[in-house]
Amino acid sequence: MPALRAQVHGVSKKMGRAQALKQVDDGFGAGQVHGIIGPNGAGKTTLIRVLAGLLHPDEGRVEYDEAEKLISAADVKRVTGYFPQEPSLYPDLTCREHLEFFRDLYDLPQAPFEHRAEELLHATGMAPFADRPAGKLSGGMYKKLGLMCVLLNRPKLLLLDEPTVGVDPVSRQELWDLVYSFAGEEMTVIVSTSYMDEAGRCSQVHVLSDGKMLSSGMPNDVMRHFGVTDFAEIFLKNE
Amino acid sequence: MNFSWRRARSVAYKEYKHILRDPFTLAVTLILPLVFVGMFGFVIDLDYKHMRVYVRDNDQTSVSRRFLQEMSSSGYFDLKPVHSPSEADQALDKNNSPALLIIKRGFGRNIRAGNPENPGQIQLLADGTDNVQASIMGTYLQGVVQKANAVFAKDNPELSGGAEEAALSAGGQIRSRFLFNPELNSRWFIVPALSTIIIGFLAIVLTALTVAKEWENGSMELLLSTPVRPAEIVLGKLVPYFLLTFFDVLVVFVLALYVFRIPFLGSFLFYMAACWVYITGALALGLVISVVTRQQQAAIQFAFAVGLLPSFIFSGFIFPIENMPAFFQYFTALFPQRWFLHISRTVFLSDAAPLTLATAFGAILLFATAMILLAVHKFKTDVEP
Amino acid sequence: MNKNDIVISVKNLVVAFGSFHAVDGVSFDVHRGEIFGFLGANGAGKTTTIRTICGILNPSAGTVTVDGADVSRSTAVLKPRIGYMSQKFTLYPDLTVRENMYFAGSLYGMSPQQIDERSRKLMDFIGLPQRIPDPVSHLSGGVKQMVALASSLLHDPELVFLDEPTAGTSPQTRVAFWALIRRLAEMGKTVFVTTHYMDEAEYCGRIALMERGKIVALGTPAELKQQFFPVKPLEISFSAPVQNQMREALKQAGISSAVFGNSLRVRAANRAALERVCAPFAGQFAVHETEPTLEDVFLQAVSRRENK
Repeated sequence: MPALRAQVHGVSKKMGRAQALKQVDDGFGAGQVHGIIGPNGAGKTTLIRVLAGLLHPDEGRVEYDEAEKLISAADVKRVTGYFPQEPSLYPDLTCREHLEFFRDLYDLPQAPFEHRAEELLHATGMAPFADRPAGKLSGGMYKKLGLMCVLLNRPKLLLLDEPTVGVDPVSRQELWDLVYSFAGEEMTVIVSTSYMDEAGRCSQVHVLSDGKMLSSGMPNDVMRHFGVTDFAEIFLKNE
Repeated sequence: MNFSWRRARSVAYKEYKHILRDPFTLAVTLILPLVFVGMFGFVIDLDYKHMRVYVRDNDQTSVSRRFLQEMSSSGYFDLKPVHSPSEADQALDKNNSPALLIIKRGFGRNIRAGNPENPGQIQLLADGTDNVQASIMGTYLQGVVQKANAVFAKDNPELSGGAEEAALSAGGQIRSRFLFNPELNSRWFIVPALSTIIIGFLAIVLTALTVAKEWENGSMELLLSTPVRPAEIVLGKLVPYFLLTFFDVLVVFVLALYVFRIPFLGSFLFYMAACWVYITGALALGLVISVVTRQQQAAIQFAFAVGLLPSFIFSGFIFPIENMPAFFQYFTALFPQRWFLHISRTVFLSDAAPLTLATAFGAILLFATAMILLAVHKFKTDVEP
Repeated sequence: MNKNDIVISVKNLVVAFGSFHAVDGVSFDVHRGEIFGFLGANGAGKTTTIRTICGILNPSAGTVTVDGADVSRSTAVLKPRIGYMSQKFTLYPDLTVRENMYFAGSLYGMSPQQIDERSRKLMDFIGLPQRIPDPVSHLSGGVKQMVALASSLLHDPELVFLDEPTAGTSPQTRVAFWALIRRLAEMGKTVFVTTHYMDEAEYCGRIALMERGKIVALGTPAELKQQFFPVKPLEISFSAPVQNQMREALKQAGISSAVFGNSLRVRAANRAALERVCAPFAGQFAVHETEPTLEDVFLQAVSRRENK
C-alpha cells in the first residue's frame, strides 16, 4: 500500500475576517517528510485542516492520489491521520483506553490492533505509561500518545499540526525520530512548525507566509532561492 | 461509510468512563433528585392549613352551624367567632392577612327550601395583598361548600337535585382534583410531577455539556478527523446519560410510592414508555444545544433557559395551564414538559386508559424524534466556524 | 557592569505542590544590568521560579533574596521595584491602550500626569504611535506584546521579569522584542526572561537551562557550547541513498544520529568509532563540522544528567 500524494490547486480560504489562505498551489510528494513552516498566523493550521478534510476551501481543491489512483473525498478520512496542535485527548482516559477507543473508531480487528499497539508503545517508549491518564502525561508524552492514536490506523498521509510546540528538546528529538521511523514507502508526513530551526529536519519544506505559499522544495534549495543561510531570515527579509 | 454499531458503542463506553471518573457530575446526578424530592416533598408545603378566619354567623341556625362544623373539620381553617360588626373590624385591623366569613341571614332557610334560584349565601372577605392565600381560601371554601351540599342532600333526600346541580356548576378543574385527590393533598400533586422537572432539567444539562466539552478540550477536532459519523456520536452520547437519568426516575418513583405513599393507579408499562421517550427527547435537546453552541458556558445558559424555566413555569407544575391566558395555553404545548407532566400526574392518580393520553404521548414522541434528527443534522463533520 | 553586584540570589530553592516538586533544589545569582535567560520546556519549572522571586509564591525550602533582603519577608518593599509581564494575563482586551496604562499605573499609585508622561516615553521607546484608539483586542499579537511590556515598565522598575514574552509571535516581533530587551539592559535594568525558543537564548548574557525542576546547565551561551562541545557536532550529507543504512549502522555501534532532511546530524561521537562505521560507505557521503546550537547543549546536558 503506497503512501498518499496530495496536490493543492489554487486553494483560498477565509477564516472569520482574515484571508487565511490565498491561492495556494502546492504538491506534497508521496513518502516524504514535508514541513510547512511559517510564523503564527501564516495559515499553517488552516492549510493542514484543509488537507485533513476538516475545512472546505472557498476556492480551489485538494486532490489525493495513491500510486496515480485518485482517492475520493469521502474516503480520505479513512486513509489520513491528523493530530491537532491544541490538546485534544481525554485527560481522564489512560493511554491504553485511548488506543482502544481509536481501535473502534477505525474499526480495527483485535489481533492486528494488539500487534500494532505493542509496536507503537515500544517505538515511543510509552509502554511503562500505558495505564496513566492522558491528563497526567508530560508535554512530550502527550504528543506521543496522540501520535500513537492516529498511527494505529496506518494512515497513508499523516498530518501533524505543530507537534513540537512547548515540548522540551529531548522529546522534540524523539518525536522527529518517530516521524522518520514511520515515514517512507507507506506513509507521507506533513508537519507544520513555527520553529524555524526545525525546517532543516524536513526532506521538503513549504514556506507559508501571510496565507501565501512562497516557495517549496528541499531545505537547501529553498534557502538558496531566498539567498539566506537561516530560515528565520526569510521572514525577516520579507518584512 | 455506513452506520457502525461498534463506533457508537465505543463512544458510549468512553462517555460511561467519563461519567465514572467525574465524581462531581455523578454526585450531582444522584443527589439532585433527592434534593428536589426533599425540597418539594417535605420542606415546601404548598398546603395552607389552619388559616385563621373570623366568622360572623348572622343566620344562627342548625344549618349554618352544621356548615361551620364542616368547614372547621376540613383542617384548613381556624374559625374564630365574632359577635358584632365592630368586633369584626377590630379583628381585621389587628391581624396579618385577615379573613372574615359572613353567613347571611336566611342561609338555613334557603338551603332547606332547596331552590337553586335562591341559594343560601355566604360571603368571604379576604386580604387581597396575600392573593395566593386568598385564592387558596376561595378554592378550599368551594370544596367545603361542595362537601356541605352533599351532606345537606343526604340529610334531605328531596334536595338531591339541587345539590347535584351545585356540584355540576363547580369548575371542571376543581372537580377533577376532588375526584382524584380528595384530600387536596399537594404532595400527591407535586411528587408525581417531580420526574418532569428532574428529567427536564438534569437530562438537558448533562448532554448540553458533553459535546461542548469535546469542542472546548479540542477532542472534537481529533474525532472528526476519524471516520466516525454524527449519528454514531449522538447515539453513543445518549445511551449512558439515558441510563443515568432513568435511574433517577426510578429513585423518584420508589420514593413517591413508599415514602410519600402516593397511589399509582395507572399503567406502569405505559408510564415507563413515556419516561423513556421523554428522557430521550430531553437528552437529544441537550445535544442540539451542545452541537450548536460548542461552548460549555453558553450551553449551560441555554440549558437553563429551555430546561429549568419551562419545567417549572410552562409545564403546569406551579401555574395550572387552565388558568393561563389562551395564548400561553397553546404556547406551553411546545414544551414536552407540559405533556409529560400531564401523563405523569394522570397515571399516578387515575386509572385512565393509556388511550386517553394518546395526544400527550404522541407529543413527546414527536418531540424526541425531532430532536434526535435535529442533533444529527446539526452535527458538523468539519471544523468550519 | 560590576560582576560582583548581585541583585537576585537564589539558594537551594524548592517549590513543592503536594508531592510534586515543580522546582527541585535550584541555585543561581543574577547580576545587575544583566539579561538572564531561563530556558526549558513547558512545565520545567520556569514560571514557578519567577513567581517565587517576585514574591507571589512562597518557597517550600531554600531562600530567595533581592539586594540581600529575603523576598518572602519584604514583598511590600520589593513589589514597586519589580515589573512582571506574565505569560497568560497581560492586558484587558476590551480596554484601549491608554485605559490599560491608567489602570496599571494606578495600581502603583501613580498620578494621571505621571502616567501620561511615562507612557509617552515608553511608547516612544517601543516605537509605537502615541495614540492608539482601538481596544487592545484589535491589535496584532506583536503590538499587544509590546504594549504589555510597556505597561509592565510603567512604574520604572529596576527588575524586569518577562515570562515567555515572545511565545506565539512572528520572527519579526521576536527580533524587535529582543532589541528592546537589550536596550533595557543597557539602561541598567536587570532583565530576567524565560523562553522555550532555544535560538532566542543566544541573545542572553547568561542562561540557565531548566529541566524537570532542576538546572542542568548555567553560563554564557559561548561557555556552555565550549563546555558541552569541546568537539563540534558533525553533519553527514549523502551523494547516494544510503542515509537509512548509515543511520542503522551508527545505531548498531551505539552512536545516535538525528535525521535532518537529507542529512544526518551526529551530536557527539568517538571519531575513530564513527570512521569505522562509515568506512563501508566510502565515497557516498561527506562529513562537515557544524557549530553547536543551544538545543544541542540542552540535549547533551540532559543526557549527561540521565547518565549520571
